[in-house]
Amino acid sequence: MSRSFACIISDAGRGPLVAVAHQFAHSIELLEDGILFDVSGLERLMGKPQRVAQKILREMQRRQVRGSVAVAETVDTAILLAKQEPAQKQAVLNTPDMFSQLPLVDLAIEQDTLNVFSDLGLQRVEDLLAIPADDLVGRYGREFQNVIDTIEQKGVSLLTPNVKENRVSWSFELDNAVEDFEQLIFVLNHGLERLFAQVEHCGFSTEHLDLQFKLRNKTAKSYAIKTSFPTLERAFWLKLINLRASLDPPEASIVAVDVMAHFTRPRPSQNGLYAVSRPDPENLLLTVGKLKKLVGEANVGTPVILNQRLAEPFGVDAETMPNVNCAGPTVREGGTRNVSLPPLLTGGPAQQIIAFTYYRPPVRAEVLVRDRQLVYLKTRYFAGHIANVSGVWKGNSKWWDRAWRTQEWDVEVENHGVCRLCKAGEEWFLAGEYD
Amino acid sequence: MPHLSLVKTLSHLQQEQRHIDEIRLEAHGLTLMRGSIAEFAGPASTGKTSLVLSVMAQLTTEGEICALVDSAGSFDPVSAKLAGVEFENLLWVRCGGELEKAFLAADYLVQAKGFGCVWLNLNGLPQNKLRLVPRTYWYRYRSRIKETPTLFLVTAEEHVTGSASQQSFQLEREDARWSGTGRFKLLREFHLKFHSRKGYFGPPQRTRIEMDYSDV
Repeated sequence: MSRSFACIISDAGRGPLVAVAHQFAHSIELLEDGILFDVSGLERLMGKPQRVAQKILREMQRRQVRGSVAVAETVDTAILLAKQEPAQKQAVLNTPDMFSQLPLVDLAIEQDTLNVFSDLGLQRVEDLLAIPADDLVGRYGREFQNVIDTIEQKGVSLLTPNVKENRVSWSFELDNAVEDFEQLIFVLNHGLERLFAQVEHCGFSTEHLDLQFKLRNKTAKSYAIKTSFPTLERAFWLKLINLRASLDPPEASIVAVDVMAHFTRPRPSQNGLYAVSRPDPENLLLTVGKLKKLVGEANVGTPVILNQRLAEPFGVDAETMPNVNCAGPTVREGGTRNVSLPPLLTGGPAQQIIAFTYYRPPVRAEVLVRDRQLVYLKTRYFAGHIANVSGVWKGNSKWWDRAWRTQEWDVEVENHGVCRLCKAGEEWFLAGEYD
Repeated sequence: MPHLSLVKTLSHLQQEQRHIDEIRLEAHGLTLMRGSIAEFAGPASTGKTSLVLSVMAQLTTEGEICALVDSAGSFDPVSAKLAGVEFENLLWVRCGGELEKAFLAADYLVQAKGFGCVWLNLNGLPQNKLRLVPRTYWYRYRSRIKETPTLFLVTAEEHVTGSASQQSFQLEREDARWSGTGRFKLLREFHLKFHSRKGYFGPPQRTRIEMDYSDV
């Protein structure tokens, strides 16, 4: 059975090239300046290699990938052909019959030998093919046999896949259109069994399924189902699919099913004896999900300081979760947790600072002012003479609005703590205390 | 050969195993035990929050993930940043003053396991509400975190954990130092005194915390 290899030489970058190659092959090798992939077996599906090459070309044009493509029976031939005129403004096809016209410069021939060939008037592959191979080997040594194999398209170079599959799929066309999704469960169960067997065979698991139903009215209904942890348990996935489909059912009867399982990326970090403990990523995801349901989406996340001069210049970044994979030093200094206090971001030693805590809601206050001095403070919870005052500071403003909304003082109240007293208009209130 | 660098000497291993269950705050002379509940209680401006932020700063800088259950929304991230807390290792849960949600959230977090520290901040909640919390909650937390690396910290104006906590500290402010005179004063330091309620005969410990006026 003959083999076929396709090569694309392009400067489009890895992503688009891999995307094109994935449409035709699972065995893919990334080259320095392009991509090589195995298209053997596509003849039955698409036709002759020429037709396969045209399909690849069309796919490149669809994805706006510029470069040259070639399909040949050997790896070397495909690469050599594709390397002709790679700097095109659009995708071009180099056919195998062009091979005999290739210049000898592209072959792995030493410069001295090339000079001799040039003097003899040998410029192209077809010129070299006209000379008996034994004569060439006798004159230039056994190593020249590799060049001869290449020009005779018998190259022995192999494709070494270096792009791994990241998903597998399963499709099924139904004999009769199905109205009720429940009837599909049996078919889906069978499909998931085969699909998960493939995933398991590759040594992976999945936490993301893409499900597509082709409908009788020529449309398609797609569902992306994700879990917070990877699993290959069919009953669990079927339940999720059933729930999603019942929440958002297809508009017409189903004629075909397409399921794609994305491999879960292996976790980059592992716990170890000397690593600090962190929650398992799946566990953390589940816990955060539960917490969000309990207190609301916007109330769980990591703190974030806003670059503003508002009264409370901070918020919760609900989209971000603590980084369980690579945050800070993972191995304890000297193997113990008893390290000295951490340096601040500035690199200096950590400070034991006085922290501030907010009152929610702010506490209304009555303040006695005598000779422009704060003398006495009274709230519904406590009252007392003001022993020390620091301020006034102006706060709470926006850059487009120069007016400061509040005036602030730090006050030490007798028999109580040190609070932040604020005045907005004629209203006095306590924003919080130093603790 | 590079892989030989993984081999550690016996003395190194022994050093690693020592004090594995302790978190020591050198600056305050305080040692907290992992897998247990520690409580800081005291009235206004006694340094409860500051001490806990020191613990959080130490753990998050070492790369541990910490969680804060902010019952009444009193947490100030600016102070935390100044104390050295690494926000990317901190999970902040705001409960909007709802006590039941705060306790449930803390329960979820201790069940998750693996957190370096879970801080249940009860500052700002009325004491009469806190007294209604069944003691069984605290014992539940205690049994959940036992034998785990998690330190469960509680801050409140009065002691609430009872005998469920392994360490319980009563804090007092001895003095608040101000610099300057007249109208030009600045708050500088709190001088704090704390004693353990679990070790009655031990002398009180003293520490001080400073005001930081720098911008974040």
